[in-house]
Amino acid sequence: MWPLKWKKREQEYRRQREEFFEAVKRLNRRDFLKVAGLSAAVFTAKTVVPPHSFQVVDVVRAEPQEKPLFRFAYISDTHLYERELNERFVNAALRAVRDVNALDPPPDFVIFGGDLAQLGQPKELELGKQILSELKVPVKMMVGEHDWFLDMGEKWRELFGPENYSFDHKGVHFIVLMSVNEKDFWTERNMTPMERMLTVAQLDNPIQSRFEVGEEGREWLRRDLAKVSKDTPIIIFSHSPLYKYYRPWNFWTEDAEAIHEMLFPFKSVTVIHGHTHQLLTHRIQNIHFHGMLSTAWPWPYAPEGLPKLTVPMERPDPFDEADGTGWGTVDVHRDGYVDKHYNLWSRNPITVAKAYLESWGKEAIPPAPEFPPY
Amino acid sequence: MNGGEIRRTKLLALGLVLVGFGLGLGGTRAISPVPQKFPIQIPLGIPADLWELMIPADNPMTEAKVALGRDLYFDKRLSVDNTVSCATCHDPRFAFTDGKPVSEGVGGKKGARNAPTVLNAMFNEEQFWDGRVKTLEEQVLQPLINPVEMAMPSHDAVVAKIRGIPEYARRFQEVFGGPNPVTIQNIAKAIAAFERTLLSGDSPFDRFMAGNPNAISEAARRGWELFKGKARCITCHEFNPSSPFFTDFKYHNIGIGMKATQNFEPLVRQIQQMAQENRLTKEALDRLALTEGFSELGRFLVTRQPKDLGAFKTSPLRDIELTAPYMHDGSLKTLREVIDFYDKGGEPNPNLDGGIVKLNLTEQEKADLEEFLKSLTSDWVRRVARGEIKLAAGPTSENPALRLARDSRSSRR
Amino acid sequence: MRTAKLLILVVGIIGLALVATSFERRTVGAQQSKASGGSDRLVVQLCDGETKLEIADARAGEVLPPEKAREVARRMMAAYAEQQAKQVSKWTARDRLTWEREQKRVIEEGYKLFHDWRALGGTIGISCDMCHPDAAATHPETYPKFQTQLKRVATLRDMINWCIENPMKGKPLPPDDPRMIALEAYITSTRKGVPLEPGKH
Repeated sequence: MWPLKWKKREQEYRRQREEFFEAVKRLNRRDFLKVAGLSAAVFTAKTVVPPHSFQVVDVVRAEPQEKPLFRFAYISDTHLYERELNERFVNAALRAVRDVNALDPPPDFVIFGGDLAQLGQPKELELGKQILSELKVPVKMMVGEHDWFLDMGEKWRELFGPENYSFDHKGVHFIVLMSVNEKDFWTERNMTPMERMLTVAQLDNPIQSRFEVGEEGREWLRRDLAKVSKDTPIIIFSHSPLYKYYRPWNFWTEDAEAIHEMLFPFKSVTVIHGHTHQLLTHRIQNIHFHGMLSTAWPWPYAPEGLPKLTVPMERPDPFDEADGTGWGTVDVHRDGYVDKHYNLWSRNPITVAKAYLESWGKEAIPPAPEFPPY
Repeated sequence: MNGGEIRRTKLLALGLVLVGFGLGLGGTRAISPVPQKFPIQIPLGIPADLWELMIPADNPMTEAKVALGRDLYFDKRLSVDNTVSCATCHDPRFAFTDGKPVSEGVGGKKGARNAPTVLNAMFNEEQFWDGRVKTLEEQVLQPLINPVEMAMPSHDAVVAKIRGIPEYARRFQEVFGGPNPVTIQNIAKAIAAFERTLLSGDSPFDRFMAGNPNAISEAARRGWELFKGKARCITCHEFNPSSPFFTDFKYHNIGIGMKATQNFEPLVRQIQQMAQENRLTKEALDRLALTEGFSELGRFLVTRQPKDLGAFKTSPLRDIELTAPYMHDGSLKTLREVIDFYDKGGEPNPNLDGGIVKLNLTEQEKADLEEFLKSLTSDWVRRVARGEIKLAAGPTSENPALRLARDSRSSRR
Repeated sequence: MRTAKLLILVVGIIGLALVATSFERRTVGAQQSKASGGSDRLVVQLCDGETKLEIADARAGEVLPPEKAREVARRMMAAYAEQQAKQVSKWTARDRLTWEREQKRVIEEGYKLFHDWRALGGTIGISCDMCHPDAAATHPETYPKFQTQLKRVATLRDMINWCIENPMKGKPLPPDDPRMIALEAYITSTRKGVPLEPGKH
């Protein structure tokens, strides 16, 4: 079905992942507590408190944690329908906004990770804007494919501005990159805008093209990066993962390698992405990747291709509509790398620490699930 | 990880119990005495092997110990002013609850939580509404010294008082032996052993499940279907032959006591502070649990995890008709109020369990559910409530779980 | 093409002779095969779609004179008769074709339903594929097994209905509803060949 080369890569991923999990199992309890203590130490928010069972002597023994430079929060993939059709997703988005507003001290800003709307309809986008306007701190918007493919971004741009932009914050260069462009598959099929939207909205739809930043986007990125010195930490917000995870579901960026090439010369690069609705951790050379949770529902992990550094979240229980969903915070350190906090609403929070990625998964290992994905 | 260890420990305990009794695991049978040293009649609907499994290895059941525990359970001298016994709040006449919204201890002092039943409490994964202790033995220790319950100044004071009663001194010697038989642990063990004979089963619903379709009314049968389906009850109020207790033994925030205006932030901060300063001792936790405000934090007091804010243990439903008022704070007076509460999707609050959603039940469906709940009352518990059976201190006490067992034993001879 | 041409002949028993006079050049279908000797001998296929007959004295592509064509037809009939005599199954290739087509049709119907919340009576815009792309995490091979939502051992069908009633906020389907069968067909088709592991969690 797919090129052999790609298949091989999947197999390699799989092998590495299995090795990794074997390694996790070999960890002794003390290491685990030390790790857990580290992640607990960075929580100070109102609703996010250190898990008590980790307050043991091992915390003291752990390396003193460098205080993060600043914190921002994220909310992602709200997938709003109009309230009359689906109240559940609306309530979930409101819950995330309320939780973020309760953070004390407040985060410096909130990144919204894309897929505000389910079908890109003006009323859905407007509802989303209204909900996010309740946030007490500034919001940085990012576009997802569900926001885009009904009118190719017209309404979204009207409400939120350009889809590619960058800003600097406390010495870090932030880039919001539109990464869900697709090659035209709709014209030759004579699709209506809604048919196009529904096609893209269906994760397992084989018709659509693969996500890409595209030539224009890459050119924009090249120009933006040219202004930044190589030792300035860079954090990129992208809706699609900016690497190749699982092609059939578009957990995928077709021109990922070209983007990586542009980023390799920099000292510290972090990519925070939406779209995948699950805990995801990946590293390619100097680039750290973190997924975001959805407020609406969790995606299952793909059958192949999971990055080996990812310790997956436990399979959610669909009886609990909040299980597997939530929001999170990101603690940015002086060097630009981050501790990523997943605040799952129905589970204990999980932290993927900078130290975990820096050690290639040897230290600060997040807790493994008792019931991993199928 | 912890859970796994605990499970292993329990299995080990089971192994020890089995070795101790020198017999194998019996299958799940209807009314039939468990073939073992301690004569007990496991009521219809409760798996006999599960009963055995839940007896801790370090507190084996003996008839003398159970009798001692029974007399301690009903003895008001365990309280500071001789006015409150275990049975004050866990009264057999109210299916081992007290019929009050929140319990009242010495001097009419009020706690903050509704007394849960002792019936089948031995099967609980953890004890108390927030699961702050694991076993019945640990549970017994707390009310004795809580100032709004039995209010004894210390466990030592309890021991001294019991040791000073010659009758008890003699019986503790008989039951536990050794140079120093009256200890707080042995007091707890005796009471816990007695509580392990307080079993609820043999209800009309159990007879229905055993194969008699007419054991419950048609409305109750409709209610049972709703309970499993549209009303979404069974997911938390778990029922199946392996776990027939109508609870998942887990903690859920359904919004009781969490009015939208209530601000938990300062309380949460105080708890965090106390935890950081290592001030959250078992006793401190027990007092906080019965203090207005803090009480509403629920399971959070124990775990300090955001997902547990305002979460309380799923109540079992057996004998529920006799245990009004309902919920952890006794705030709902009738079963219909409870059904209405769930029908509207609980009380909205930031930490509402994701499983609590609007149900859109009709009036007929609500009535059917209520009928079903009323079919869960154990026959003997109902007879105790009516005064037809007297469960009390002393050898004339009637406990079917013991009496029937003796009868069947003697009839075998 | 170097290999021998295969003439696939759709040979009806009635009117065979009629057809036989004009079957040269009637190449139907895309199947190719090589005659056993590697020569250019004419190879014909019987209407069971499997049995091949090599005609030693005719070349592929050759325009057969009527007598020769009749002879080929006679041999085909003889082969057919011989085959019939050995037949133990009552099921024909035609039957198999129907089975496969129906299976495929029902799976495709299931695929559509799986992606269409309205068709399943959902009311809040949630369809199966939103949580189960490519039917992921439906694990049909693990049923029956204890399901925590129902607190009992349940079947895939129970869980399809549970999802329709709960996350999708619709009404459960009767067990014999063609939509239920179609959903089961699609879901199980995605796990073809996976070993059965009832009770696996």
